Amino acid sequence: MIEYATSIKYMLAGYAVILTVLALYILSLFNRWRNLKRDLQTLKEIQKKD
Amino acid sequence: MNRPQTTDHRPSSIVRRPSSGFLNAIGAIVWKDLAAELRSRELLSAMLVFALLVILIFNFALELDPLTRRVATPGILWATFAFAGTLGLNRSMAVEKDRGCLDGLLLAPVDRSAIYFGKTISNLAFMLIVEVVVLPVYSVLYNTNLFNPGLIVVILLGSVGYVAVGTLLSSMAVQTRTRDVLLPILLFPVVIPILIAAVKASSGFLQGLALTEVMPYINLLIVYDVIFTAVAYMVFDYVVEE
Amino acid sequence: MKPQPIVLKVLNVASVLLFLAALGMVFLYAPLEATMNYVQKIFYFHVANAWVGMLGFIAAAVAGVVYLIKHDQKWDIVELAAVEISLVFFIIAIVTGSIWARPSWGAYWTWEPRLTTAAILEMVYIAYLLLRQGLDDPDRRARFSAVYTLIGAISVPITFMSIRLFRTIHPVVIGTNSTASQGNFDMTSKMLATMFFALFTFSVIFVNLFWHRIRLGQLAQQVEQLKLEELQ
Repeated sequence: MIEYATSIKYMLAGYAVILTVLALYILSLFNRWRNLKRDLQTLKEIQKKD
Repeated sequence: MNRPQTTDHRPSSIVRRPSSGFLNAIGAIVWKDLAAELRSRELLSAMLVFALLVILIFNFALELDPLTRRVATPGILWATFAFAGTLGLNRSMAVEKDRGCLDGLLLAPVDRSAIYFGKTISNLAFMLIVEVVVLPVYSVLYNTNLFNPGLIVVILLGSVGYVAVGTLLSSMAVQTRTRDVLLPILLFPVVIPILIAAVKASSGFLQGLALTEVMPYINLLIVYDVIFTAVAYMVFDYVVEE
Repeated sequence: MKPQPIVLKVLNVASVLLFLAALGMVFLYAPLEATMNYVQKIFYFHVANAWVGMLGFIAAAVAGVVYLIKHDQKWDIVELAAVEISLVFFIIAIVTGSIWARPSWGAYWTWEPRLTTAAILEMVYIAYLLLRQGLDDPDRRARFSAVYTLIGAISVPITFMSIRLFRTIHPVVIGTNSTASQGNFDMTSKMLATMFFALFTFSVIFVNLFWHRIRLGQLAQQVEQLKLEELQ
């Protein structure tokens, strides 16, 4: 039998990890998408100038 | 530098008799590597010195008193072989790449997998030579008897699997920008089964366990060797394709 | 890059809703386990994350083999997407597993076969990403990556078997609760329902993220091609 207080602490830590890592991953997907879009835009502008 | 066809005086025969051409090509590559090594000795001397240094480091890192020794010997041996092995694999492929030999070999009218088997066999030869030197030295230094036929079988099987994967991965690693550091990172996580099985089987033989207790590990090594030699043979074309 | 298709948009919404529902089920519906009580609730998402990691591992292996057969760049994109998702979800599974292990058997890390294999798989994937980083030519990068994915896909199951062999012959007592660590506690039907719901939810999330990651890969490929054209 694990003490309730300890048990809750570890449970919260576990779910915090799950939510944080998932959020960070989704954020990184967003960021990379935005950066690529910007790159694409720049490249297209350069091509137009040529 | 010897061209792979030098032993074959009639290159057209390769087309007519593919199987003997294949074996000749493998033989030529092995011969080229061994002859070059016999002249320069740079690969083997580096591997040997490195292996001895690893053993020396383990001596101080682990305080190898007789009791610890019994437990630690198989692990130390295999760690040494694995480290010295990467050094050799990296060097053997880097030389090939830098001197343009790889391109030469690729232009040669032989099956690409002959290059793979040739390099694997010569890498295996280097590794076995290092092991043949390390074993008696270790025996003398630590007053442990390592002359055990079972252990020799394990070392042979383990080295075959290690080199089979290592040759494939080193021919990939030398073509990257980070080639000096990449090989161990690519190789170690995929040869863990070999290290586990080889260490366990070695310690089983050294402690004189019954054969039935060691056999699962020997079987594992055989399975690994067969699977990875076959896979590496099948995919080597993709690694050297231009 | 085309805008998100309708199905993908539906998946986005479904993923969020299912995720909230799964959280609700874990905390409100599933009963408390007798000996481990609250910390056992990690189990549902821990298993679901490991499951997604497995799906990614299988998807990567399949994509790698298909690439080697077809030589089509789009399978390289799929393979990278699968590897990345598998990497992320196995990290979550490993960390939550450790957090669960600490109060249950007194140590964050035990060299348990599944845990150890997952950690080794992470090393394979990190090596995979480093290999890709060292290669500039897209074609060569795709070929080498596919070969390495294949090697990893074969070696990791063998690693698992060898670690298990290692453990059965030399058993290590990890604690009195070691059966609980395997997820072998008595599951009530409500617990089972929660677990399967979490598995379903994370499967949907897997498909959703996988799709987004593939689209990202396609965009990256487009940009890379434009850059190469610009350089010439």
